[in-house]
Amino acid sequence: MADFETQVVVIAGGPAGLSAAVQAAEDGAEVILLEKNAAVGGAANMGMGPLAIGSKYQQRQMIDITVEKALNMFMEYTHYNVNGRLVKRYFEQSAETIEWLEDMGVEFEGAYKYFTKSEATWHIVKTDQGIGPRAASFMNKALYARAQELGVTFMLETAGKKILQDEDGKVCGVVAMDKDGKEITIACKAAILACGGGGANPEFIKEQTGYTFGVDMFNFAIPGNVGDGIRMAWEAGGHKVPVRIEAAANFEGIDELPQSVPNVLMQPNLLVDKHGKRVMDEEQMQNTTYLSNACSHAKGRVLYSIVDTSIVKYYMRNGVDEISMVRFDPDVSDFTEGVRIAEETGNKGLFKADSLEELAEKCGIDVDNLLETVDNYNDYCDGYDEEFFKRKKYLRPLTKAPYYAAAVRPGGYGTVGGIDINENCEVLNNDLDPIPGLYAAGADACNIYDDSYMFLLPGNSMGFAVNTGRIAGMQAVEYMDEED
Amino acid sequence: MAVITIDGIRLEVPDGKNVLECALDAGIYIPHLCHHKDLLPLGSCRMCIVEVEGEASPVPSCKLEARDGLVIQTQTEEVKRLRMLALELLLAGHPEDCSTCPKYGNCELQMLIQYIGPKTGRLKMRSKGFAANDKNPLILHDMNRCVLCGRCVRACGDLRGVNVLHYQKREDLEVYTGTLHQKLLKDANCRFCQACVEVCPTGTIRDKLASSEVRKEDYVVPCRKGCPAHIDVPRYIRFIEQGDYAAATATVREKVPFPHSLGYICVHSCELECKHQFLNEPVSIRNLKRYAAEHDDGSWKEKAFHKPATGKKIAVVGGGPSGLTAAYYGAKLGHSVTVFECADKLGGQLRYGIPSYRLPREVVDKEIADILEAGDITVKTGTKIDNVPALLEQGFDAVYVAVGTHQGARLPLPGNDLEGVQVNTDFLRAFEEGTASVGERVVILGGGNVAIDCAGAAFRLGAKSIDMACLEAYDAMTATDEERAWAEEEGVVLHNSKTFPQILGENGHVTGVEIQSVGNFRKENGRMVFDKLEGTNEILPADTVIFATGQRPTIPMDPEAFGLALTHGNYVAADESGKTSVAGIWAGGDSMTGTTSVIKGIAGARTAISEIDKFLGGDGNIEESLAPEQVKNPYIGSIEGFADIPRTDPRVVPCPERVENWQSCGPMDQGFDDAKAKCEAGRCLQCDLRLCISRPQTWGDFAKEGEKA
Repeated sequence: MADFETQVVVIAGGPAGLSAAVQAAEDGAEVILLEKNAAVGGAANMGMGPLAIGSKYQQRQMIDITVEKALNMFMEYTHYNVNGRLVKRYFEQSAETIEWLEDMGVEFEGAYKYFTKSEATWHIVKTDQGIGPRAASFMNKALYARAQELGVTFMLETAGKKILQDEDGKVCGVVAMDKDGKEITIACKAAILACGGGGANPEFIKEQTGYTFGVDMFNFAIPGNVGDGIRMAWEAGGHKVPVRIEAAANFEGIDELPQSVPNVLMQPNLLVDKHGKRVMDEEQMQNTTYLSNACSHAKGRVLYSIVDTSIVKYYMRNGVDEISMVRFDPDVSDFTEGVRIAEETGNKGLFKADSLEELAEKCGIDVDNLLETVDNYNDYCDGYDEEFFKRKKYLRPLTKAPYYAAAVRPGGYGTVGGIDINENCEVLNNDLDPIPGLYAAGADACNIYDDSYMFLLPGNSMGFAVNTGRIAGMQAVEYMDEED
Repeated sequence: MAVITIDGIRLEVPDGKNVLECALDAGIYIPHLCHHKDLLPLGSCRMCIVEVEGEASPVPSCKLEARDGLVIQTQTEEVKRLRMLALELLLAGHPEDCSTCPKYGNCELQMLIQYIGPKTGRLKMRSKGFAANDKNPLILHDMNRCVLCGRCVRACGDLRGVNVLHYQKREDLEVYTGTLHQKLLKDANCRFCQACVEVCPTGTIRDKLASSEVRKEDYVVPCRKGCPAHIDVPRYIRFIEQGDYAAATATVREKVPFPHSLGYICVHSCELECKHQFLNEPVSIRNLKRYAAEHDDGSWKEKAFHKPATGKKIAVVGGGPSGLTAAYYGAKLGHSVTVFECADKLGGQLRYGIPSYRLPREVVDKEIADILEAGDITVKTGTKIDNVPALLEQGFDAVYVAVGTHQGARLPLPGNDLEGVQVNTDFLRAFEEGTASVGERVVILGGGNVAIDCAGAAFRLGAKSIDMACLEAYDAMTATDEERAWAEEEGVVLHNSKTFPQILGENGHVTGVEIQSVGNFRKENGRMVFDKLEGTNEILPADTVIFATGQRPTIPMDPEAFGLALTHGNYVAADESGKTSVAGIWAGGDSMTGTTSVIKGIAGARTAISEIDKFLGGDGNIEESLAPEQVKNPYIGSIEGFADIPRTDPRVVPCPERVENWQSCGPMDQGFDDAKAKCEAGRCLQCDLRLCISRPQTWGDFAKEGEKA
């Protein structure tokens, strides 16, 4: 006997779940949304906005990106290892989704790149002034308000636990645990999983990706994101596809310091591995997914970004060379203050030494190789980078003590993928046929990058979440109507 | 009464009540951060500012007292602008990146940002540069995330009267909250009540045990969760502290009918969870329970529920603690219960497994008498049930099976059938019946609590030396530390990490046990795995050997005969509620779960009887409120050196007195006296007080209210 009855149950209220709830309610369904935390928005409360392709902002800003171009980029990038129909439907809907969001009061600053080489697909939510983290929490608020206006019932601090299926395998209910720890059952015709992956579950990460959280993986761990959605889908007979880390390199512990410290050390400085050797053209470090991948393949899964005092002084005087939408302030004049704080708080990720030999020893880098690498690198600064062809403008010799180094390790935003869905966001079983009434959206089902996050089209994860949420919402209602 | 108007809504409110509370109570949300329902208003965060008609500038509504004719606007452009500015200033000194914060998703600041609108960029961000302070037990401080709302200071001072946390200034004048001179919490006389954790709106002061995957109530009050019967531990400890022992025992009785016996012998899972262990040692909960039970006046009986007769008949197979618990509640629910017990007396392991010098028989007898008084219960002792489903044919409507594990395991070793070789269960039963005997040199095989009991009984029967050999290393023995220490005091010699290749004998009588050291002992898929170390063999001379290497249900090996599906090892197969393979028959206790503990047997019986009642047409409700309302004083005050107060030891009869005069000296463990009980009850951290603190009121709650209306 069910405690509640509704038509659609949406499990979790991040951007995917909220979008699904709004869309399903707009299409006429009665919806209950379960959210484990006390607040809605999920990981996206920290984010800035979704991807869109062919939006009016891009048109206005004369940015040349089309669904055709983006789709081809994507398929080439992933070696056709992903579902092209799903990517196509998501991209095609993305521009209209911007207007859908605007209709409920979300405003956008425009379309942006994440870093110089990426495309301008990131639609950053407007704030009163400036651009910065947390912008998307305003989008979540608008979605939440819209959902309430449409009569969606929210059950906060209530976690979805299990999908119930009838004898034909059709979804017929959801079991959840409410804030008092009581088990409740909600009868429904369709369920939409949108639990945001398993970034806060070290065992799950270990099991699915082989990384050990806190040892060779330093991803964001949003409390509550423990893989509930993926587990529920798999338990309901869903086809398992690989769970990946949405990789973004981590500058160990130094994000807690003033922004100037990570900002200086994330510039295209000299980057070496434990052997004291370079591994890449450091200009590519700005693609933090690539940087994280490079770390994964290095000895000890760590690389070191190294600067000397003359380079630091240059940045402090002139500002840094490269900024991103997240590290938007080129001013790093309080770097020395940051180093002092690092020393006082016993920071483990930042190293300072009076000679290269001492620096090598502190970091555990092969001393002789490091000295040779720096010698060669300094020579390249007078000529050109024979080793990795880094551009002249980023080449600055290391000559003046003290020297600074930061440990760079694999990290990421959490997990992506795990649930196999088709372009209708229907969860597929092992025969790749849909499980009737079961849908998934957002990170739980985000299998579209294959092994590495597609940073060249920024805003992808939130864009995927909002758009697949909408698709799942529409399809669930369509399915119910057909069933009736 | 005053009539005030908020955003055009007319409200009648008590004169002088603060306007923020008036608004919140009326369902009008005004953003706030430093305000907390249970704390005195501070007015520092400026989030709750409102415009008052006739006044020049906005004022914080938490500091504004209601008076007749007050007209207030909460959402004017000026108010919004100032609120935004206040939030901006606050965020300039707060870490930008929330994604590494464990409070994510439940952070009041994060919710405020969502409500007011995100703000960044205009002000230069700065890092406060505090190192996270992990030096204290239970509570972690990350002052970089502090917004100086001062809730923790008010909670610690005004609400609790502990006064550990204050505003402090670092050398560079950066303000934070903490102890004077950065003392450890325990050195500042902290009571570790965690009120500061509860009221902190951000991830600054955190509970080290908190987890998004565990119910809050369970990680905040883990003792109650740890008890299989979920006895309300902090509640009865508070009654003891207040000197109301009858109320304390009534609280225990709300969940179990054997409070006094459990006070002697419970395995106290609650103590294993007690948060005091992170300060020094857990609270001695079991001894407190026992002391309270010793001073029970039986007043709980007046409040106990008794439902009218249903005409339904329940058979209980097995008269141990689990079976008797089922009988007790079954009778109270109005059913007619018949208990079948194969031994001469009721009590199961309480009588035949645990020696009387540890658990006096008067205690067991009294509790059983109380149970039998509860309603229509017929007892048939000396009656063995060979086929359980046959009871249904004989007219019983439902059956509960809890026959215990009374058959000791004789390991398949050469010499295991020599004269002088005994097994634990038979030996302890004979000890109870006064027919047991041992020689002078005894070897016990096994390292659990039953092995310890066998050793204690053997000494009391006159053994001169006792060697105990077991596979487990010293610190991995399953016997509790306390019981092992008592056995060592009595003179038991332990041989840890040993296997026993054979028992030696001459002329059919045992002469010794060969033991051999093992390395790398572990359990894999429930099986023991270890490496034998060659050349470490030695002989322990003996004239008596007792196997204490596990025990099994006394069920015929033929499941057909017993009538119920059995698992590997001959236990009754059942689901979590105790439901067996046959409709109408439930099982519980050791014979279903494997040899565990009395409290687990009781908890299992409670679950099963509730299911049985539903099966018989009842509502399955066995909850009862036997103890009076409790006054919880949240103002706990400061106690010098609180965290370091040592655990109170019980009074124990010394050796050799307790062995030589065991029949006259009373129970070896004499428990607490009044002073000891008071002192130990005072050590309780009162973790449950934290659950009485009001939940924060966030804008999401008000949106929900709006939807209902």
